[in-house]
Amino acid sequence: MNFKGTLPTLILEALRHEPSHGYRIAQQIKERSRGVLDFKEGTLYPALHKLENEGMVKSYASVEEGRPRRYYRITESGRRVLSKDRAQWREMSQAVTVILGEA
Amino acid sequence: MTRLDGWLQQATRRLSKDSATQVRAEIQEHYESARQTAMSGGATADEADRDAVATLGDARTANCQYRSVLLTAAEARVLREGNWEVRAVCSRTWVKWVLLAIPLAALFTAVGLFSTGSLAVARVLVVMGGGMAFLFGTPFLPVYTPSRARVFRVVKWVVVVAMVLLAFGHDALKYSWLLVSCLWPMFWVEWTRASIRRKLRVTEWPKQLYL
Repeated sequence: MNFKGTLPTLILEALRHEPSHGYRIAQQIKERSRGVLDFKEGTLYPALHKLENEGMVKSYASVEEGRPRRYYRITESGRRVLSKDRAQWREMSQAVTVILGEA
Repeated sequence: MTRLDGWLQQATRRLSKDSATQVRAEIQEHYESARQTAMSGGATADEADRDAVATLGDARTANCQYRSVLLTAAEARVLREGNWEVRAVCSRTWVKWVLLAIPLAALFTAVGLFSTGSLAVARVLVVMGGGMAFLFGTPFLPVYTPSRARVFRVVKWVVVVAMVLLAFGHDALKYSWLLVSCLWPMFWVEWTRASIRRKLRVTEWPKQLYL
């Protein structure tokens, strides 16, 4: 499914509860959407860099099972943007549902 | 060359050395995890390798996206070499004062020539003095916040346009081909700096990005 433009919001949502690394973020999005949002994982990192440039996530190096990993955590500004995006999405999806339901 | 090497080569095209290293590290990390997951699910090493690279998607698309968020080789060069005027001006104290004195002398002379009626020579001196003052004086201006930088850049372009109009007058359009060919390096550097500003956090901006 094409979900261009919503990937940053999905990444922020995946980081809402705890910091995570790129691979886990990708798996989490796929699992939580039950495989519907099957995106190409090479596009995840540019989106993460963009969020980092905009100050919505911060990255740090860590080690998991002896392997060096880059972890990302959401910032306060990222949380604010996420809640705004969530409200906008809810409003838009309700509007589309109404239109499609009436058709 | 492995499948992953081929993918990385394509995905890191035209990126700066540091950006390419960063991309290689994160994709390698991702690939290892995907490969390990596939193998623990019963796939052979070759299948796991193929699947792990396939899930990364099109390398050219990734390259395009990386270039819009990470520094490219050209941008890194502008960052490295783009502050030559600051280095030239600040290299020696006497150089600094001479370079600041020449435009001031030109401007004072121009005022004198204006009052005596030599308009053509005075106009040339104003353009020369103004241009030099702008080029050599900018490193000393207190431009170190994004909002001041925006104001400064607007003023800078107004001054450039004013200089061109002053130098060429009504012939500015006629000589536009000459102006474009002379000024394109300036436009290009300005465009590249704008792109770098989007990619770096304000705290990481060197002085030249404010100008």
